[in-house]
Amino acid sequence: MIDLPTIPSKKINRKFRDLKAYSQEGIYNLLPFKFIQLNDTRELIVNEVGDFLIVDSGTTKRIILKEVNKELDSELYGDLIANFFITEDKIPYLLDIIATRYRTKKSFLDNFTALHIFVISLRCEHTCHYCQVSRVSEDKDSFDMQKTHIKKGIEIMMQSPNPHVTMEFQGGEALLAFDNIKYGVEEAELAAALNNKQITFVICTNLAPVTREILAYCKEKNIIISTSLDGPAFIHNQNRHKKGNDSYELAIKGIELCREILGNDGVSALTTTSILSLSYPNQIVQEYINRGFNSIFLRPISPFGFATRGASKNKYNTDLFLNYYKTALDKIIQHNLDGHFFREDYASIILKKILSPFPIGYVDLQSPAGMINNVIVFNYDGKIYASDEARMLAEMKDFTFQLGHLDDPNYNEIFYGQKAMEFTSAGINESLPGCSDCALQTYCGADPVLNHTTQGNLIGHRPTNVFCQKNMGIIKHLFLLMDTDPKIVKVFQSWIRN
Amino acid sequence: MVPQTSTLTYVVDHRIFDKDVIQKCFYWYTGDYHVHFSIIDDKHHHIMLQAKSGEVINEESLRVRIANDLNDYQLRAIVAKETSTIRELIIAKAFANFDDEEINHRYEISDPVGFNPIA
Repeated sequence: MIDLPTIPSKKINRKFRDLKAYSQEGIYNLLPFKFIQLNDTRELIVNEVGDFLIVDSGTTKRIILKEVNKELDSELYGDLIANFFITEDKIPYLLDIIATRYRTKKSFLDNFTALHIFVISLRCEHTCHYCQVSRVSEDKDSFDMQKTHIKKGIEIMMQSPNPHVTMEFQGGEALLAFDNIKYGVEEAELAAALNNKQITFVICTNLAPVTREILAYCKEKNIIISTSLDGPAFIHNQNRHKKGNDSYELAIKGIELCREILGNDGVSALTTTSILSLSYPNQIVQEYINRGFNSIFLRPISPFGFATRGASKNKYNTDLFLNYYKTALDKIIQHNLDGHFFREDYASIILKKILSPFPIGYVDLQSPAGMINNVIVFNYDGKIYASDEARMLAEMKDFTFQLGHLDDPNYNEIFYGQKAMEFTSAGINESLPGCSDCALQTYCGADPVLNHTTQGNLIGHRPTNVFCQKNMGIIKHLFLLMDTDPKIVKVFQSWIRN
Repeated sequence: MVPQTSTLTYVVDHRIFDKDVIQKCFYWYTGDYHVHFSIIDDKHHHIMLQAKSGEVINEESLRVRIANDLNDYQLRAIVAKETSTIRELIIAKAFANFDDEEINHRYEISDPVGFNPIA
């Protein structure tokens, strides 16, 4: 046996100190974070700016009790340092970075209200059993918005500090009052030019009354069409009652015409989930794939308007919705894994909050809540409401969320008045009972209108709250999916890039 | 044999669990149970859970769940206590008005080979 020359185990370098010189073994300080159990074996920890780690159960306890060892748990220790869960300094060196990232997460507040909804008419030719805005018959002109109110609404929109505003026309069926839409678009274009604002126009329509002339005008004015498609004909027509039972056929014809005239991106569709829909998640997703859409927005009926009256039809259990949602999501993910791009929009909104440093302008998942500071509604009768759901509630004779009237509007009173302050303070999930300790807080939001409607007060009771149950169920499911398969993470990342 | 009932009583030593921890923990039980608090003595809280449905409580599993939840909320309290100052600093800095020039760059980049990138 040959004796090799002895090499000193540690090379002494005058320039570099030994690694141990930098080690404070067993000593670290916690940074603010929250945690939640995902299932029996895994738990999620989330820091103040939405960075997360999924770890084995019991790990969080070890972190908090300072039992994580820098040498023995080097990978975990490194992850905790790199993701701002712990720090070796009293005050973290990168505090300014954390603060900047927090500011970025809340940057949706910077420009204030963007979305201005004009309920241009309450008339509709459909009689959907779940209609959320108490439709009236087609011939009642008194349910159209007056031009003076449209003009006043535009004046308020122009006072928004936001340089990019959206003017969204809703109904009833908005296209039944197309002359009003044209008036609104032209007035708003003039006002936007004077006030140096960029403006986006959206028409929400069931497409039944659409014509080539209407779409030619939409093309000329860059108006986006948002429509509804609840699934295949037997679901759509059942959900959306209409004389002749041809709602589905008209919607499909309308979508094709929109694509022909406006291009593929000129029209998007939303689903509304009814009790009937709950039994057909795969068929609904397949319908969207067959129709050439590259995304679907799976949303439940909100408990407003007619939705609360047809209790047996619409008050389905949140668990049933979650099962429906998860089944549909599985099919969508598999379709992506098979090589096709197809996105679920609600998951994408949440995933953007999870996987990117940026906020997203979706009013239902914001804290402070999106009402008033992101959206305002001018109703057909001139009344001003804090959100779309608030005007639906008003159709049930509950005017709690009315902020003013277009006959005598006062911007400061509407947006910064006593009512606005009260609603906003109830819409901050960082300080709501049950939410304040929740690890999913950064990804979730608050909905005082829903709390008021379903639980009788603005704050709400989280253990029985449908908003909490739905969002907690969906967000936890998304994390578990990402934890299960790295290929799903790649699919999710593609959704937030596109 | 343990009698089957829709009520469960639980005694918590508040030398181990703070009052806030106990209240935050049992808040989540108020969906399914009526929760009654009372003080036994200067060391113990008495909590009575009564099933709203009137159904018989599975006492063993409920006690395990309560013990786990209390421990979790105690851990949350530790994090909140240790990090409250940092959290306030983060939020205060995030919403403070500042100019770029006012940001104090206090990064120290090691320079073992004599090259200082920010010099």
